[in-house]
Formats: sequence, structure tokens, C-alpha cells
Amino acid sequence: MTAVTEPGLGALASPRADAPARRRRKVDAFPYLLLAPAALMMVIVNLVPIVQGLRMSLLKLNQYTLSQFMDAPFVGLRNYRGVLLDPTNPVHSGMLGALRNTALYSLLVTACAVGIGLGVALLLNRDFPGKSLARTLLMLPWVVPTYVVGTLWGFMWQRDEGIVNHVLVDVLHVMDHKPFWLIGSNTFFAIVIPTVWRAWPVLMLVFLAALQAVPEELYEAARLDGASAWQRFRHITLPALKPVIVIQVMFQIIDNIYSYNIVAMMFGKGAGYPGEWGDLLMPLLTRQSFSYWRFGEGAAVSFVMMAVMLVFVALWMRTFRRSMTDEG
Amino acid sequence: MFATPRPVRPSYAPHARRWLAALVLAGVAAKASALELSMWVMPVTTNAQNDIPALIAPWVKAHPGITVRVTVLDWESGWNKITAAAASRRGPDLLELGSTWMPAIAAMGGLEPLSAAQLAEVGNGTPYYPEIWKTTQVFGRQGVYGLPWYADVRAAYYRTDVFREAGVDPAQAFATWDSFHDALRKINGLTVKGKRIGALAYAGKNDWNVVHNLAPWIWNAGGDVLSADAKHSGLDSPQALRAIDFYSRLAVEGLVPSNALEKDSDILEGAWVGGEYGVIFSGPWLMRRILETPRGSVARENFDVAPYPAGPSGHATFFGGSNLAIFKGSRHKAEAWDLVKYLGGKEPQVRLSQLSSMMPARIDAANDPAWTARHPAFAKLTAIAADGRAYPPIPAWGPLETVYTKHLGQLAELTSGIGDKYSEPAMRAMVRDTVSEANKVLEEAE
Repeated sequence: MTAVTEPGLGALASPRADAPARRRRKVDAFPYLLLAPAALMMVIVNLVPIVQGLRMSLLKLNQYTLSQFMDAPFVGLRNYRGVLLDPTNPVHSGMLGALRNTALYSLLVTACAVGIGLGVALLLNRDFPGKSLARTLLMLPWVVPTYVVGTLWGFMWQRDEGIVNHVLVDVLHVMDHKPFWLIGSNTFFAIVIPTVWRAWPVLMLVFLAALQAVPEELYEAARLDGASAWQRFRHITLPALKPVIVIQVMFQIIDNIYSYNIVAMMFGKGAGYPGEWGDLLMPLLTRQSFSYWRFGEGAAVSFVMMAVMLVFVALWMRTFRRSMTDEG
Repeated sequence: MFATPRPVRPSYAPHARRWLAALVLAGVAAKASALELSMWVMPVTTNAQNDIPALIAPWVKAHPGITVRVTVLDWESGWNKITAAAASRRGPDLLELGSTWMPAIAAMGGLEPLSAAQLAEVGNGTPYYPEIWKTTQVFGRQGVYGLPWYADVRAAYYRTDVFREAGVDPAQAFATWDSFHDALRKINGLTVKGKRIGALAYAGKNDWNVVHNLAPWIWNAGGDVLSADAKHSGLDSPQALRAIDFYSRLAVEGLVPSNALEKDSDILEGAWVGGEYGVIFSGPWLMRRILETPRGSVARENFDVAPYPAGPSGHATFFGGSNLAIFKGSRHKAEAWDLVKYLGGKEPQVRLSQLSSMMPARIDAANDPAWTARHPAFAKLTAIAADGRAYPPIPAWGPLETVYTKHLGQLAELTSGIGDKYSEPAMRAMVRDTVSEANKVLEEAE
């Protein structure tokens, strides 16, 4: 059998085959022109403050040099050494505890919010009367601003007058005495629970949208093959949602590491220090940089955090790159 | 032949010149009359946006051609706004500053010092309470940066009916620490007018008054919040430790109900007015809150004020408040000074005290019947102010107060009875951490 090659088809299949080797590609400037204002704004809004922040982190910028601002004395990496390595540095004070709390808080909030969001999305992903109303009502926590969430839960956690203890002790009889939530180690849960309460509805909505894109035929085929509900979830639903879950987990971790508002509103009437078990990195940074007027050191901590987050995002994207596409 | 004279066209040039001149003059006059002073104040009254313009209306009337634009800041964001203004040299012409803020802003170069002539115009500060006058300066430096405007003096507000019910003589109760302790034990747990009384209310960590609440006990024990040279924390002196121990044990013994420790001053003052506590230490704003309740209400009909119980070194109280200053970047310093001087005068201070219930910073205004005759308690506040004491006016007070509040607020973690129980060694360890961090902040100031 002889293969026949038609010159015309070959030319179509490879249009550049006959083109001169040195042919210059014509660049259309118009799209770049359209993008230029947005790119310029991005530079102004993002890059300029980042560069300014980097410069600040290398200056002795405090209460006494603030009026010099960018002309404050240059101290090189001294701010970085101070905040990371010097245990007597006021900005460093309590940082290990805040780091521990932030790690635990981020993991717990992310796990709970993603878990609840996914669970409720699965429940809502079926037809029942009042589905739209239920979905709208479940979104309510998410529309409450975080500042309001912090203030409201601050009242709800009050030991004697708060509704949480009233429900736990007087209504459900889960406990025999009313515990403190705003003092002691329970402070940790006092900040985790409102954060989860506010975070899961939007995750539920994202997962619900993703679930509705999963072809029903896959479930029907699996049912015909005798697959159990768990097997259908594990082998159809979870792989289909994987790209969304991977992205949402990453967003949640970033959001929670940078969490500030709920702690600030719940404990911000004094020094803004919730205690050993409630302090997170961002409230610590605000308190011990702005309230202590140590702006250079505060900028150094911010830069370290930003670098850590960039590494985290890069590793996450690299690890789950395939999962974020259909290839996964 | 005579040439026909050409009709003379009227010349508009002279008219145009006259109109132009008139316009220029009008513009100059308009500019002269449009001198606007910008003034930043804190919400000293519940309606400061209207009350402050009303307060300065007589001055504006006496200065035709000057208007005053009043901007009311709030205590939470005001600090950032003022420091940003001081750093950038762009801000108002005159501004109100909390007495502990003033040294910091002055040290940043944000305030115009008063000249010798200006000081002479206000009697070199003699009309004002000396402790408040001190806060217009920077510790260890020459120069006065403003005038005291109003004062915050702390006192014990107590329920007379509760003390009566317990058979406690208030004069005796507030005489010494021991008698105060005994009185609290007697009133604690009493049921009065249907409510179980908590003896004393003070807030825990989530409150801006942590240091102000504790400082008078430290002073009265013979200690201080700072060393004499203001270079080191004074909290680890034996006297200060004794005061902190005494103060903390009031909560450990249950004389301060543990649920008070998770609340802030505002909520506790509301609860005191509502009849839940026997004693609370607070400022003159509580008078307004009490007198705003309906006649016949529990607190309004059954309260009085008393000085801090005398410790080994007296019964000093915390004296704070606000000052008025001229902003360094002002282009109308002379006019701004004139307004500052006016507001530092007796009549405006009396008027402000009526609008706000904050105590006048002038001694004569604080003794004026318009202040003292409103309620017998006002006169007592004036008497208590004689023992008022302010913090040393150091520029680093802001960061230092945050350090103190952060650590000392954690006493609530020990005294609430959960987790690590209160003990003197645990308290000393906490104070040690406080002092270490405070000294680092003070070291930076040198």
C-alpha cells in the first residue's frame, strides 16, 4: 500500500511550510493599548506600595522619625533580625504564640468551612420544596460584614448573658456550668466558630454551582453498576469537585492567615490583645507595629508574611496544578 | 469745507478699568472675609457637630470675616489621623488632643509652641489645674504646646441605698484600703431592689481603662507607673506590686464578679446604672449617664461619689482630659491662638461642662456654680480633683500604655478563676514581662 500525499493538503496542514523563514510577525498594538491603563493602575495600586513597604522595612521608622518618613535612618536588615530573632524586641513579643494560633486557626477554620460548605451543598443539590428560600437563608451569615460578626459574637459569648451559654446550659443541658469563652483557652474557639459561621455559606454556594455542572448521566450509570452513595461521592462527586476544592482551600488558608476583623472587633477595646490563645498574626502586627509606633519593624514582618504566603501559593499551585485542570 | 466731525464713540475703557478695580477689590475683600479656620475635635458631647459650633459662636460673632470648620473625629481613628497630619505637616489650624497624646504629637514637631507673650496672656497657666497644665508640655523639655480644655477626673460612684442596707458608713468605707475592703465584703451579694449586688465593677482585658483604673491604686500605695526620670517602668516597685496585688485580690475574692472581667467599661457603667453593682470607679461622663435616666430610677435617686480609698500614700485619683493646640502647619496661627485662648477661658469651659458633663480644666470654672450647683456630686468631683494626678507627659506614653494594657489586662486571666489561678508569684511574673517590654519601648525613646 502506497501512501499518497496531496501537495495541497500538505500545504493546508502546515501553512508556514512555504512561508519565508525570516518572515516577521506583525504585532497588533491595539490590545496592548487597551490593557495599558489597567496595567498602569495595577502598578500604581500594587507595585508602588510593595516597593515602598520594602523600603520602609529597611528604615528605622518609628515615632521619632515618622516625620522624615522615607528619609528615616537606613538600618539594612536590622528590623528583620529584630522581629524574627530578638526575643526582647517588642514586635517579636508573643509572636510564636500568635504563629501557633494562626496555623491552628487557619487549618481548623478551613477544614470546618470547606467540610460544612460541601456537606450542605450536597444536601441542597437535589430538588425539594423551598430549596431557593433555604439557599438564600443559608447565605445570610456571609452577607454580615466581619466587623459586625465580631461584635455580635462578642455579646453572644458573654458567660452569663450570652445566648451561647444559655443554649448550651439552660436549653440543651450539654454542660452543667457556664464556661468563659472570652477569657482563657476557650478564646481560641470564640474566634474560630464565628469565622467558620461566616465562611461556609459562600463555599456552599461555590460547591453547589460546581455540583450542578456534574453530568447526571455519570450518577445514573454508577447506579446501574450498583455503586453505593459513598462510592458515587468518592468516585464521581469528589473528583469532579477537586479543582474547585483545591482553589477554595487555598483561598481560605490565605484569608484565614490574614484574618483580622473578627478578633479586632471582639477584643479591640483595650490593647487589642485577646490573650495567649486568641492572638493571631495580623492583630499582633497591627498592635505591635502601629500602636507601638514601630513601622519599620512592622513592614519587615509584613514582608516576611508576604514572602511566606508567596512560597505557600507557589507550592500549592505546583502540587495541585494538575488537579486544577480537567487533566486532574 | 469743514470736515464732518466723526461721531465720537463713547469710550468704555474708563468704565472697564473701574469695574475691574471693583472686582479686584471685591475679590480681595471676599478673600479677607473668607478666612476659614479648620478645627478638629473629639466627640466630647453627644452632638459635638452642633455643640462645638454653638460653643464657639460668640467668638465667631466677635470676629467677622472668620469662619470655623469643625470636624469631629472619633477616639478610635483620631489618633491615626492626627499622627498622619503631624507627619505630613498638613492638618487643621487647631485641634483637640487627649492629654496623653499631646507630648507625642509635640515631640513629632506637629504643634506650635506658645510664645512667652501668649503664655503671659493666660497667666502662665495659673488658672488651670497644675496637673492638667503639666500635660501641655513634654517631660524634660522646655515649651508649652497648648491650653487645657476639659478634664477627666476619676472617682468612686456608689449606691447609697446599698451601703445603707448593709449598714456601712460611706465616709468610713472610702477612708482606707482596709475599710474599703470590709465595705465591699458587706455589700457583696446583698439583694437590693430585686437585684443581687456585685460589690465592685471593673473591666478586664478588653477595655481602654486598664491602666487608668489601676494607676490610682499604685500611686496611693506610694508607687508610680514610671521611674522618676521617666526612663523605666515603675510597675515592679514593691509599692506598685502591693497595689496590683490588692486590686487583683478584689476579683479573686469575688468582690468583683468574674463576669465583669469579660466586659468593657461602657457595659459595666450601664450595668451599674441599672443597679447591678455597688461601686464603680469612673469619670464625669457617668454623671451625664446617671442624670439622663428617668427620675425615680435606682441609680439616679441613690448615688453619690467619693474619692479613692486612701492607701499608705494618700488618695490620688487619675486626672486626664483634653487640651487644645495650634497645628504647626497652620497658616492662620494668630487667629487659631485667639480661638484657643477663647476656649481656654472660664465662660466657654463652664458652658462646655454643661454640654458634656466633663469637668472644666480651669480651677475657677470647676468651682463655678453653673458646674457645682447642677448636682451635689459635681462639687464633690471638683473637691476630688484637688488630688488629681496625671501621667508624666512623655512622648512614648502611647506605646507604653498599649504595653501596660496588653499585659495588665491579662490579670483577668488569673483572677477570673479559670486556668492558672491567681497567686502573687504568677502576678509578679506577669509584671516582670510587662516591665521588660515597657523598658524596651522607653529605651527606644532615648
